[in-house]
Amino acid sequence: MSFVFLTTDVLLFLLIAILLVYGIYALRHEHFFRPWKQVVSKPFSMCAVVVLSFYFLIAILDSVHFHPTIESSSGEDIQHSTRITSVLDLVLGSIIAGTEKTYSAPFSIYAFTKETLVDEDGNMVREYPRLKHAGSHLREPASRLDDILNRSVVGIGKGLTGWIFFCAIIIFMMSRIQKLAIRGIVKKIIRGQSSLSWRTFFLSFGIICVLVGIGLQLCPHYHVLGTDQVGNDILYQALKSARTGLIIGTLTTLVMLPFAIIFGVSAGYFGGWVDDSIQYIYTTLSSIPSVLLIAASALMLDVYLANNSEMFVSVTARADLRLLCLCLILGVTTWTGLCRYLRAETLKLRESAYIDASRAFGAVPWTTIWKHVVPNVMHIVTISIVLDFSGLVLAEAALSYLNIGVDPSMESWGNMINGARLELAREPVVWWSLFAAFIFMFILVLAANIFADAVRDAFDPRLRELN
Amino acid sequence: MLKPLLDVKNLSVRFGQGEGSFLALDGFELTVAKGETVVLVGESGSGKSISALSMSRLLPSTALIESGSIEFAGSDLLGLPEKAMRNIRGAGIGMVFQEPQSSLNPVMTIGSQIGESLKRHHGLYGKALLERIEELLVLVGISNPKHRCRQYPHEFSGGMKQRVMIAIALAGDPELLIADEPTTALDVTIQAQVLSLMKAIQTNRNMGMIFITHDLAVAYQVADRIIVMKEGKIIEAADREDFYRTPSHEYTRKLFDSIPSWEKRLSENPSADHPAAEKALNVKNLSVSFLGKTSLFSRRSNSMVAVDNVDLELQEGRTLALVGESGSGKTTMAKAILQLIKPSHGSVYYRGDNLCDVSGRQLRRHRGDLQMVFQDPYSSMNPRMLVGAIIKEGMIAQNIGINESERDDRVRRLLLQVGLDPSYALRYPHEFSGGQRQRICIARALAVEPKVLICDEPTSALDVSVQSQILHLLRGLQEELGLTYLFVTHNIGVVAYLAHQVAVMHQGKIVEYGSVDDVLHRPQHVYTRTLLNAVPKIGMSL
Repeated sequence: MSFVFLTTDVLLFLLIAILLVYGIYALRHEHFFRPWKQVVSKPFSMCAVVVLSFYFLIAILDSVHFHPTIESSSGEDIQHSTRITSVLDLVLGSIIAGTEKTYSAPFSIYAFTKETLVDEDGNMVREYPRLKHAGSHLREPASRLDDILNRSVVGIGKGLTGWIFFCAIIIFMMSRIQKLAIRGIVKKIIRGQSSLSWRTFFLSFGIICVLVGIGLQLCPHYHVLGTDQVGNDILYQALKSARTGLIIGTLTTLVMLPFAIIFGVSAGYFGGWVDDSIQYIYTTLSSIPSVLLIAASALMLDVYLANNSEMFVSVTARADLRLLCLCLILGVTTWTGLCRYLRAETLKLRESAYIDASRAFGAVPWTTIWKHVVPNVMHIVTISIVLDFSGLVLAEAALSYLNIGVDPSMESWGNMINGARLELAREPVVWWSLFAAFIFMFILVLAANIFADAVRDAFDPRLRELN
Repeated sequence: MLKPLLDVKNLSVRFGQGEGSFLALDGFELTVAKGETVVLVGESGSGKSISALSMSRLLPSTALIESGSIEFAGSDLLGLPEKAMRNIRGAGIGMVFQEPQSSLNPVMTIGSQIGESLKRHHGLYGKALLERIEELLVLVGISNPKHRCRQYPHEFSGGMKQRVMIAIALAGDPELLIADEPTTALDVTIQAQVLSLMKAIQTNRNMGMIFITHDLAVAYQVADRIIVMKEGKIIEAADREDFYRTPSHEYTRKLFDSIPSWEKRLSENPSADHPAAEKALNVKNLSVSFLGKTSLFSRRSNSMVAVDNVDLELQEGRTLALVGESGSGKTTMAKAILQLIKPSHGSVYYRGDNLCDVSGRQLRRHRGDLQMVFQDPYSSMNPRMLVGAIIKEGMIAQNIGINESERDDRVRRLLLQVGLDPSYALRYPHEFSGGQRQRICIARALAVEPKVLICDEPTSALDVSVQSQILHLLRGLQEELGLTYLFVTHNIGVVAYLAHQVAVMHQGKIVEYGSVDDVLHRPQHVYTRTLLNAVPKIGMSL
């Protein structure tokens, strides 16, 4: 194995590092720590946090890329394939049933289209053929339902076992940290009296464990969410798409943050011609239809990639560059909103007495901005990052639908929807790839929205005064 | 004895539940007869506003009435359904609040806001409604009512808005008027007018009135009976004359002692004469005008002159008080002296340099010598910084102290100097009360070893007892460190207590300037006389 670091991987890990630093900073500063504690003390948002962490776990697993080793016959020198795969591929590869010929419905063991087959007597018949991988262990097709049920029950059992195991570890650690008896902690959690919403945490974690358990039991033998036109497993694609969605949702913000903060704060603080020029820039930018801007940039990028195809070692690297560029373009077109908020807030802050006091000390403007303005607008930044996230995930789907989104070779919910839209006209309808993309995106966006609401409530100074 | 109009018995109100809860009102008792004015006096947090809100059942949802009864005109208010209560509010009990600015709806005309209550309680409409609105406006002393009732709140001044609020409260012909600090946000001259208006209306209509204030002098002017409150409890209740002649409770006596005045100054520091001293700061022909908005492509210049050709002289180790009503340009001038607002012309001389046209670096060097203490202790500190870091900020900007540990040492010394515990350095501003915060702000200003301290109404947001502590602290610091103060205030009592010289400011100009004794006791200018006459004094009726 030789590891490969794609640009978006590096940026994603950078983002995680920033989050970690922020977390450590927040732990030490009560005014940052308190609102976050409030966020996870509500059951709904705790559930959203668990779901979001699950998605992030998938995305992180999918962001560790490497060239797999090729088993060479001589057994001496190790050779690497030019193909790039990720840890998630490695994990799922052993679990998910193999590729079929074409469409097949969820849990089906027959293909979706008829083929000409030769039956036992040697006659040519038009029949739905058995799938190559799904259900191949079944001798009797009629026993399919029993088999699914049996495997599900075993899966639930395994999931619960795993859940109890993890819970035990966490509760044990809690009792060590809080120096309380394990029984007391369990009682507190079950009654919902703990300061954080641990009961919801364990419940939602349990549901995920059970789902994973069932998945582990069923996936090797069935296509749980069916297959697409070229026979790839839909569940696999939907899981792979999580990384694309999350990268777009987070990296775009990372790209736009410096613009928004620097421009917004300096426009508000300095006023005069600085304010005027920044205002003109962002009003101009925001009056260009963003889809048009994105389409133009995406097409230019396509031409560039086609002319410089020798620059990329693999299709994956090319697709990755395109994803990054999409983040950049989206970032450049979306910073104006946050910039406006920050300008307005800074205008208000500029009049406060502590800014005057700082100026009366003879502090240089940027020191004042860094010390007094930026920390006091951070709540707006936090709120808008979280609020923008779900919008960006949805934007990706819309753009891919217009063929100006991510590279067609990259798994994304937008691409899944785009690929499935024509099949909706078929009879019987091929609904599952659309359904899968919808469900996965829906859960992510719902969780993100609930989380965003909780974050806004926790950081909104007006609501905080009421408490 | 006649049955009183309002009878509150043993009222207790609790805020919150469980551990964090507290009793905002504890065994509160009150009776108001027709034509009687009862004044509730107390410092902030004493529960006087809560008592008013519970009488009209407008308490916030976090509050819970634990016990007691409120009987108004024969019916028990606590037992009434909300629908019946709505008839009582307005028609039975009228209310006037502290902030006329935020109590009026900015997008409705004055007339329609008064009309709302008339329609609701008297079913008036059309011509009759209009006539009644005009009558009410005349009653509260607003001339040209036909024209005025079609105007919007922003076209009225603060005092006028408060008159409109009173008109709205009177619209339902209430038998009881509850006024919650109705004149606190107003200037003294306007306050005097509004107080006499309220008193006159009350006497004419034979209304009962509950008047809430923190000012004992205002209380004297309107009260028949006075109730002193502290921490939700009634400390003392007495008739006006008895109360002012012999306040019985120790807390009340402390309140009286806290009021800053000329007499208090003489008793604390009998040697009132001060020889002339060195010049510390000299302001010449200073003007500040605010331009209309200018931008890259358009320059509109409808300017407003806030400070108009002002000359001032600060003497070393002395206090110059700058007195004036709101909008007179006091704060603008204080900021212009510090170059926080760029003056449009004129000069400020400090140690031979004209601060208005020295280079940025030189100005930054001088900034250590000139510091400011701000009016609102709640907004003058960055809420996200530790107190220690707040005090240290100036030292870092002015390069005072060699290293962190020396600066930390200095922070501890400064906190002790302003009478706070050194361990407070590791706390956040929101953990402190107003008075403590103002002490921290003073420590912050002292951190850079200033020679001149500009205090912009440092005590106006504070309770009277806390105010007297802060004034005491400032005076002590002046004696200890030889500080020069420019003290911006609207409070004549504070001037009498602290100042050596007084400059009276009116509409951007200094109208009178002289020693404190001359200005306060032998005022020359008409405006100064009006101002001094309007100040409410104990023992002087309206």
